[in-house]
Amino acid sequence: MTTAALAPAAAPPTTLRSGSSYWLTGYSAMLRWHLASLRMWLALMMMVQILVGVGYVLGFALFFDEIPPLAALWVSTGTPVLNLVLLGLLLGPQLVAGTKQQGGYDFVQALPVPRSAATAAWYTVTLLAGVPAMVVTLVTAELRYHPAFVVSPMIVPATLLVVFTGTMMGYAIAHAIRNPMTTQLITQVLVFVVMGFAPILFPAQQMPAWLAEVNEWLPLAHMAAVIRDALTDGLVTDVGRSYVVVAVWGVASGWLAVRALGRRL
Amino acid sequence: MSTTTEPAAAVAVPEGALLRRGARAWLHGLVDMMRFEWANIRPWAGLVFVVQIMMGVGMSIMYGFFYPEVDPTTAMLIATGVPTLALVPMGFVLVPGNVSNQRMAGTFDFIWSLPVPRSAQVTASFLVNAALAMPGTVAALLVGAWRYDVDLHLSGVLLPAVLLSTVMCVSVGYGMALVVPNPLVINLITNAIVFLVLLFTPIVYPAANLPGWYMRIHEGLPFYPMAQVIRAGLTEGVVTDVGGHFLVLGVWTVLGVALTTWVVGRRH
Repeated sequence: MTTAALAPAAAPPTTLRSGSSYWLTGYSAMLRWHLASLRMWLALMMMVQILVGVGYVLGFALFFDEIPPLAALWVSTGTPVLNLVLLGLLLGPQLVAGTKQQGGYDFVQALPVPRSAATAAWYTVTLLAGVPAMVVTLVTAELRYHPAFVVSPMIVPATLLVVFTGTMMGYAIAHAIRNPMTTQLITQVLVFVVMGFAPILFPAQQMPAWLAEVNEWLPLAHMAAVIRDALTDGLVTDVGRSYVVVAVWGVASGWLAVRALGRRL
Repeated sequence: MSTTTEPAAAVAVPEGALLRRGARAWLHGLVDMMRFEWANIRPWAGLVFVVQIMMGVGMSIMYGFFYPEVDPTTAMLIATGVPTLALVPMGFVLVPGNVSNQRMAGTFDFIWSLPVPRSAQVTASFLVNAALAMPGTVAALLVGAWRYDVDLHLSGVLLPAVLLSTVMCVSVGYGMALVVPNPLVINLITNAIVFLVLLFTPIVYPAANLPGWYMRIHEGLPFYPMAQVIRAGLTEGVVTDVGGHFLVLGVWTVLGVALTTWVVGRRH
């Protein structure tokens, strides 16, 4: 008698939820989760983003007595890449490493949300953080150097792709590497590579030939190439290859990250 | 009554109740804390060591890429400026980062509660971190001199310059990390400092590239004076007047040490 009365309330849902509406619910929940967990940081993050963009554009000129127009054009079209990958590639892994150290990582992973929805939500956040800063950077560059910007509609797919690949690489570094300390170190080294060892802010001709050749196979120089191609006319040739290299890195990193996330401990 | 308490008191005094003081106890504490710091950092020491060298060497190579053509003046500035750039992160990133990590891991209060003079703890931390930073600094200098073909003229100024600079970095970094309790804010401040030092301080480029008002600010901040005194120790005739720079560094060191002493001596 008593058991029959209790049964309807006690039965847990045993069916697996799936389908597009479940995915969308998960996506919007995770989006709100990320925005809420970053809420104190979001304003600060915006400020940091803008400072990095404006800082590089203005600071690079200090290295020269009189900055050559070509150098100005390169730094003006390279700094937006820094804006686009800063959160996804460099800060994202550090945030995840932080939650691992604080013990919150497993909780977030245990949330009943499809991995792809959670990943898409994070991608949206990195996009939201990067694009406004990129605009401010470009406006600053225009005011400071008046470089010959020729903005083409390709800026939209280029931006989406660069953020995607940056975020997926960061996701792979954060999730496929178990030790948070290693993650921190890799991102520290990456900051360095982004600043000075990939031809993002300056032409590849200013590096030794072998280093330029290595960068041909890494994504950072090609990220800069696709953005630069969409912002200028005639500065970048063979942008098709750049799109392919960036896309391959993005998909491969995404696959690594999702595989690592699917792993059970 | 007195007969019972006296023998009891003799046995009941626990070992730690006697205050240990004096130079011997301090040195003992210093050695213990250095071992403690080293044990803490040992799993990562290899990695930190390699990263420090990579960063030092990396910076000395990287700045050359910024220029279409590296002329001899630029080469000299890069080669003699990079050791300064390698020292700054040790004091302003590594030390505050350690304190932040201890706070996040919850070991900060435990370490403070160890029966060792706090000045010995701070000194131990300084020595271990400085030892970790030195190879990177030296490697940066050697690689820079080799890559840009710069002739170095070491002078007697170098030793006090490097010593004072190191003490300044660590004491200001430590004081900052102790005064600001939030690890995230510390992280932000350290990153802002690195940004300021790498791009907006005339360390690897001439001060003449900066507007005059901005240069006035840098003469009061510790980074430009640090670069100048270290450069004075590495070159001949490039930096003429180091007295003012040493004074600025000294004032910052005193400020840092005072801040650290104040926080270290305070109870919650």
